[in-house]
Amino acid sequence: MVLEVSRRVCDGHKFKYLVHAGLAWLEHNKERVNQLNVYPVPDGDTGTNMWHTFRRAYSEIAEVEEAHVGKVAELVAKGALRGARGNSGTILSEIFRGLARGLKDREVFDARTLAYACKIAIETAYQALEKPVEGTILTVARAAGEAAIRIAQEENDLQVVLEVMLATAQDALRRTPDQLEILRKAGVVDSGGQGLVYIIEGMVRLLQGEPVMMFEMEREPANTGQPHLDGTWDDMLEPESEEGYGYDVQFLIKGENLSVQQIRKDLEDMQGWSIVVIGDENLVKVHVHLSDPGVALTYGVKLGQLDDLVVENMQLQYEAQIAKRVRKEEEEAFPEVEGVAVITVAAGDGLKRVMRGSGAAYVISGGQTMNPSAEDFLNAINSISNTDIVLLPNNSNIILTAKQAAKLVEGKRVTVVPSRTLPQGISAMLAYYNAHEMGADLDEITRDMTDALNNARTIEITTSTRAITLDGVTVAEGQIIGLLDDKLAASGETLEEVVENTLEVAGAEDAELITLYFGWDVREQQANKMAEAIRERFGTHEVQVMRGGQPLYPYIISVE
Amino acid sequence: MPTKIKIVADSVADLPQDIIDRYDIAVVPCFVNYDGQSFADDGKELDREMYYKNLPTMSTHPTTAAPPPALAEEILNRHMEGADHLIAIVTPAKLSATYNSFRVGGSGLPANRYTLIDSGNLSMGMGWQIVIAAETAAATNSVEATLDAVQRVRKNQKLYCALATMEFLRRSGRVGWAAAGIGALLQIKPIVEVVEGEVKAAARIRTFGKAVEKLQEFVREQGKLDKLAIVHTNNEDGAREMRETLKDVLPKDVMIVRVGPTLGTHIGPGGLGFASVSAQWKA
Repeated sequence: MVLEVSRRVCDGHKFKYLVHAGLAWLEHNKERVNQLNVYPVPDGDTGTNMWHTFRRAYSEIAEVEEAHVGKVAELVAKGALRGARGNSGTILSEIFRGLARGLKDREVFDARTLAYACKIAIETAYQALEKPVEGTILTVARAAGEAAIRIAQEENDLQVVLEVMLATAQDALRRTPDQLEILRKAGVVDSGGQGLVYIIEGMVRLLQGEPVMMFEMEREPANTGQPHLDGTWDDMLEPESEEGYGYDVQFLIKGENLSVQQIRKDLEDMQGWSIVVIGDENLVKVHVHLSDPGVALTYGVKLGQLDDLVVENMQLQYEAQIAKRVRKEEEEAFPEVEGVAVITVAAGDGLKRVMRGSGAAYVISGGQTMNPSAEDFLNAINSISNTDIVLLPNNSNIILTAKQAAKLVEGKRVTVVPSRTLPQGISAMLAYYNAHEMGADLDEITRDMTDALNNARTIEITTSTRAITLDGVTVAEGQIIGLLDDKLAASGETLEEVVENTLEVAGAEDAELITLYFGWDVREQQANKMAEAIRERFGTHEVQVMRGGQPLYPYIISVE
Repeated sequence: MPTKIKIVADSVADLPQDIIDRYDIAVVPCFVNYDGQSFADDGKELDREMYYKNLPTMSTHPTTAAPPPALAEEILNRHMEGADHLIAIVTPAKLSATYNSFRVGGSGLPANRYTLIDSGNLSMGMGWQIVIAAETAAATNSVEATLDAVQRVRKNQKLYCALATMEFLRRSGRVGWAAAGIGALLQIKPIVEVVEGEVKAAARIRTFGKAVEKLQEFVREQGKLDKLAIVHTNNEDGAREMRETLKDVLPKDVMIVRVGPTLGTHIGPGGLGFASVSAQWKA
């Protein structure tokens, strides 16, 4: 897998390999990035988000053979923009958008051109945020970019330039806890910054001839005009084998004198399909689809030690996916909305129903566990006929993606109301309901919805994924925690005590209305008991109990 | 020769007794039925305060009824004797059978001496039309001038009410949207508006406190006011507080009025609203 890249210039083909290497190394390390997620809520998804983003970027060039590097960079940027998920993914896409601008009309780039493109990339990334925060992926990107600018004045070997960029980025990453208090307290470096370092590292490893786990990229399902909302399964595909989808088998073989060609041929003889075999004589990655997974495993074990073993029954997955799709279609038959429409994001059947009931034209499935991409927003936007649209993200990690989607839309007017939580989103939907009924236009509706965001305070109850002291509250791993407007407010062993203590911090005794949206693993009876306890403790409030059906959060509570 | 005009109303107008006395207005009562009995909403048969207190816990929900045509006929005939012309201003036909009772009840009267008006409004929204009609009639003795004044008031008036609960509006069945949409899903404090005999949702708000703030906003949107009635269903404290908060925009003619049981049955206790007439009506 060693590639002889001419050290002075890089054309479109070589750039493609670099992007692929960056992607492969990010994929290889994405769980590590996820684990760095500092905020003590179980949304360890920075790595997954960045990987989704970058994979979508690569899918634009996966089947392209193009020597013109400016054109390849532009395709990468386009894919990244469309696939952007989460804050780090979005910033990553902005970095590649900036690079593409800097490389526009360039057939090849050299060190100086790369330095110039890095400069544009930094500017573009910083401009993507209203208030750029240091100690994040931005800081790491800037360090890498500035290193390129510095070194390119005296060095024209691209490998050296990239190596210096990597070293500087790693150094900047190590210093992120000095810049961001929250990182220091959690004892981690910034996860988004780490993701970017892995991408650069992958590129450097390729140039240095180090192994980069490279997989043949499967293209994401083509855009059929229908939003695909749940991952990468393209259930329109007919099974390749008469016996159905069979099993997906993946493993690493560690051994000696391994032959990639021989293994590939042997797998073909076993009637396997979708075969990918890569690696060297000591380490080979195997990916194959088979109707009997045992055959491949028995074969592999004879060659060496097996590691990273994955066997999945794709037929079952396929069938589950079909069933899910059918349910989804039933659920998501939206009545048409006239005039200004709202596209929003929610997880959980109850919360989705609330959003639909309050007039949302489209509800994208997602939230804390699955941040939708800019493309998910774009598909939703294109699936409705309205030309004036408000995006309502309901999660602080999705706001930037929504803004990006709004910028990418052509021929429609799209605004973003930056709701950070579901209760904020519901407040905004009420404002929409009222303003829409009065025939208000897009600007008026956007203003009314934005004004309504702070009508409700939000409490989220969940389980901490790590030990941390934050906002003056100490939490042990596995403890129940209460967040008030995204800030840690209470922790404890039981739901009851954490709910009540968080409500106390929220000043619940002065509230008029408390609404409990209970999650999928809470029974209605339990929620009613909780409501009764709240009434008793805080007095004569109205306490409403509603099924939210959301994952991860036993309770999402609005205090109004 | 001046025309002696008599104004007739129904009890849903919620006119205070001193106004009824001052302008010698004839009021035909509507009825509230519960516990197997029918009570005239005339301020005597029903203790209004007690009624609201008991309303949420009544075993069967009360119903309301328009005055029967015979009662309208009797009262109209009685007042025809002492007047040249009767002007009746009543509850909208879209919401009640009262208009029809007045039509049928007045069918024996000489057509050129009886004018029946569908007020298109409720409570003091209708009440202000009646007050201004009575004032204009007393000042001009002209049927034409009086009817013209009523039309101008209609174009310059507003009636909004914030409900403490959707429950009663839903039960009443007279307002289709109350049972559907967002209100069926979430806890909502609607502000209702009456426009041309229809009860519309002017705003859907999560808490009553915010709804009252919105009401005050609506008052201030009306510009210079000629008349303002703060109306309530057993929420006198709320009404006083609202008068205090709005004191910089209050007109000379301002009053606090408790909504009668007929309408109150459909609104439920705790509601707060206002009926205004902007100074524009005189222009």
